[in-house]
Amino acid sequence: MVALTPTAGAGGLAETQTGGPATSSRRRRRPGIGRGLVLLICGIYFIGPLVGAFWFSIQDKVHGGVQFSAYAHVFSAVGFSDAFMLSLKLGIGTVLISLLLMVPTMLLLHLRAPKFRPVVETLCLMPLVIPPVVLVAGVGVVLAWGPNQLAGTPLQTFLNAIQSGKTPWVLILEYVVLTLPFTYRSLDAGIRSVDIHTLTEAGLNLGAGWGTVTMRILLPSLRTSVLNAAFLSFALVFGEYTVASILQYQPFAVFIVAAGQTEGQLSTSLSLLSLLITWLLLLLISLLGGRNSTKVDI
Amino acid sequence: MTAQSRAGSSSEWSPARPTADPGQVHELADGSAPIVTLKRRRSYAWLGLTPFFLYIAAFFILPTGTVLFSAFRKTDAGTGVTSFTGSNVSSALHGVYFTGIKNSLTLALITGVVGALVGLVLAWAIVSSTGNVLTRFVSTAAAVLANFGGVPLAFLFIATVGNSGLLTKALADHFHINLNSDLHFDLYGITGLELVYLYFQIPLMVLVITPALEGLKPQWQEAAANLGATRWQYWRHVGAPILAPNVLGAALLLFCSGFSAYATADALTSGAFPLIPLQIHAVISGNVLAGMENLGDALALIMVVIVVPLMVIYQLLQRRTTRWLR
Amino acid sequence: MSSIALESLDTGTGTTVEFADVHRVFGSTHALDGLDLKVRPGELLALLGPSGCGKTTALRLLAGFDQPDAGSVLVDGEDVSRLPANKRDMGMVFQSYSLFPTMSAVDNVAFGLRLRGRGAGDRRKRAAELLDLVGLSEHLKKFPHQMSGGQQQRVALARALAISPRVLLLDEPLSALDAKVRAQLRDEIRRIQLELGVTTVFVTHDQEEALSMADRVGVMRNGRLEQCAAPAELYQRPETPFVAEFVGTMNRLPGSMVPGGVRLFTQVVAVDGVVPPAGSDVRALLRPEAVLVEPAGGQPGDAIVTTATFFGAVTRLRMTQPDGQEILADVGSHRAADFPAGAQVRISVLDRPVLVRPESEATAGTVPGRA
Repeated sequence: MVALTPTAGAGGLAETQTGGPATSSRRRRRPGIGRGLVLLICGIYFIGPLVGAFWFSIQDKVHGGVQFSAYAHVFSAVGFSDAFMLSLKLGIGTVLISLLLMVPTMLLLHLRAPKFRPVVETLCLMPLVIPPVVLVAGVGVVLAWGPNQLAGTPLQTFLNAIQSGKTPWVLILEYVVLTLPFTYRSLDAGIRSVDIHTLTEAGLNLGAGWGTVTMRILLPSLRTSVLNAAFLSFALVFGEYTVASILQYQPFAVFIVAAGQTEGQLSTSLSLLSLLITWLLLLLISLLGGRNSTKVDI
Repeated sequence: MTAQSRAGSSSEWSPARPTADPGQVHELADGSAPIVTLKRRRSYAWLGLTPFFLYIAAFFILPTGTVLFSAFRKTDAGTGVTSFTGSNVSSALHGVYFTGIKNSLTLALITGVVGALVGLVLAWAIVSSTGNVLTRFVSTAAAVLANFGGVPLAFLFIATVGNSGLLTKALADHFHINLNSDLHFDLYGITGLELVYLYFQIPLMVLVITPALEGLKPQWQEAAANLGATRWQYWRHVGAPILAPNVLGAALLLFCSGFSAYATADALTSGAFPLIPLQIHAVISGNVLAGMENLGDALALIMVVIVVPLMVIYQLLQRRTTRWLR
Repeated sequence: MSSIALESLDTGTGTTVEFADVHRVFGSTHALDGLDLKVRPGELLALLGPSGCGKTTALRLLAGFDQPDAGSVLVDGEDVSRLPANKRDMGMVFQSYSLFPTMSAVDNVAFGLRLRGRGAGDRRKRAAELLDLVGLSEHLKKFPHQMSGGQQQRVALARALAISPRVLLLDEPLSALDAKVRAQLRDEIRRIQLELGVTTVFVTHDQEEALSMADRVGVMRNGRLEQCAAPAELYQRPETPFVAEFVGTMNRLPGSMVPGGVRLFTQVVAVDGVVPPAGSDVRALLRPEAVLVEPAGGQPGDAIVTTATFFGAVTRLRMTQPDGQEILADVGSHRAADFPAGAQVRISVLDRPVLVRPESEATAGTVPGRA
């Protein structure tokens, strides 16, 4: 639900003059049975199910032994490609809309309207407080107005349009809300770390217009944090289950559950793959961000 | 600027920073120079924020507000007249729904407390022993499990300790132990849910508490030792009081996270186990008696009433310790 | 104020500290490479040196936060090398504020006494006395985040003194403070130290701080003690080029040894102590205040003034000789108007050089980075 910390590099261990007595003396201390035991037990708990699931997914139930068909046949599984493409579409749509909405908002907020910052920050973090299931319950109620209270109005047409058709826009619109905390934190950290005031003033001072300043100075300097926000949103949308399943769409995560009714191995292998891919994605972000820059916690 | 942004990043979750005083319009919250030069134009700046506010209003505040409103509305089946009532909330607090609330609270409490304790110890073990590369691996892995776990976690456990899970079978075949009857473990019941929830609760705790542990200055320990404190005395008199608000806040966060979680439970129990989030789904999908259409909204209201105050307290606790740990 | 019940602090007086051939290695770095040092009872000894010279390591070994790889640390003749930090009875003040954030000033100061099982009333009273001693009697109830950096360091000092330490350890306690507070606290630390007579080891990279506060200053370099002497002696009679250049500002002038002294410019200047044999080329290390500058009076002089920097009572002239050699000289600021940039000047030597070394040796003693 909360907190994404790509790196722990920002630890505030004070460096001493000689460059390392603190760490060195720590290393000299005896390893500590307690610490080892904690790591061992937690290691078993966390790695156990992963290993178990992997083993389960490659068992050959018919002939015994090992086979990788659950992985080999992922793409040919019935419904998989539809679900996958849907998730892809939702992910891209969400990323685009949330960046389009939030990048100008955040720049404006920092440069011109700082007094609105507490309000905007609170609003952006609210989706973490309100359980998604509550939000989706509300969305259900509002959608139901279409054929009832709003029948015959342009709003009914709008509500119809976002539900039906090839792209379920209602999901994208709500996913933008769900990813707001991530987007806000990434962009906020990025903007703080480059001191956009000085950059902007320097740009204006050199005779650039606001447009030039935004396109040529601000956006390029926020590249990492924008990328960061995009990755996080995408990953979140790709794994999203609650809203999609309650509104009865079948993107990737819902497909995994549906397939699980009949094909346990397929669901297990997809689960493992999605965890692995998300993890690699986060590792990539953490490497991109470097150790000193944006640390996104939510 | 740097100090502030560091403090800001370690205080995840503080909507209103201490410096962001609504009265200080002329000064940026991060303490940088007042932007006097832009002052004249500022009165129009809010216009630029209208898309954001409209979006939030339409797609977040409207649906959420609607739920809370319709929790108190009821349409009479005979006359078709809608009026205010407390009956939805009252129904939501009785019978099977009361069981759901109780189960959800129990699950959240147990996994919150256990997750917080284990997560704290694990975070300490990680912070005090690993190198930089391993830390990065562990912290990203924790982020995956805490934020993006959801459905996949259920399948990991189904494959391992489910009805036809690997460990279940191995125990039965080789040791003649039945997980269900001999060890009283049921993956699809409360014990199973607890086990699976801990799989994201512990990493969540690690993520939230690690910055606090890293914020403990080595000088505090050295100063304490210098004044004659043993390790135990240091933790008791210095370390624990510094961490206490953080740990308490994190436990609240875990409680809320366990209370609100939907995906894992739904995937694990096919929506059958009585927990509030699953019941909300069942109700709004129409599996209810006539005249109870707004019951789901009442259940949602109950969730909000429980979660929001706890999250506000979490906020306040986080903010309190931020100034100590910078 | 000084007559308050401090008699119990007298236990600190009379403690000696000795480092005997102490080695400490971190990876490939020899942080301490055979440190030998004696601290006399009741004195304030400053350890001075550039970053990485081992001074902080020495202090941490003394405090017990780290252990020597070889050699021993003796307190009152007793080897404490393996004694844990919490059994050493030493009070330490750290560079970064290390007050416990959850405790008020008075609780911070009383913490050590609490660990020693002193009664609540007793320790509060004593903590209040010590806070009074450091001039914070108005701030007993304040928490660290409510105090300025200078105030926090005063509390830290009181906290370290509260346990009547055998030795007081100060690890760059003033580095994080701004200039004015730093000077003020510097004097205050010295006053309190003299008042209590507690043996004190003070680590700093700031030579001005070391020279102005300490009874003796130990200059460290590459894990060893280069010289340990009273400030005036260190300034006037440095034993090595490193010390000479690290302490104060120095000219390095080429010259040659002749019978009776060293030839600098056209003069022969007497030299003290051990000197290279006559006839050899040397570098003479000469303080700016030992260089006499006079206007050339329209004639071509020995050098041309390039810059004049105002330092209050004196103005420092930077001059270049025709061969490119730079010379620094201090003149009274009332005379500064005689030496505008570009002026031709005549140079002579007023005082004997502090050190004369053969050309080869002197260059080896170059200080890489001056504080």
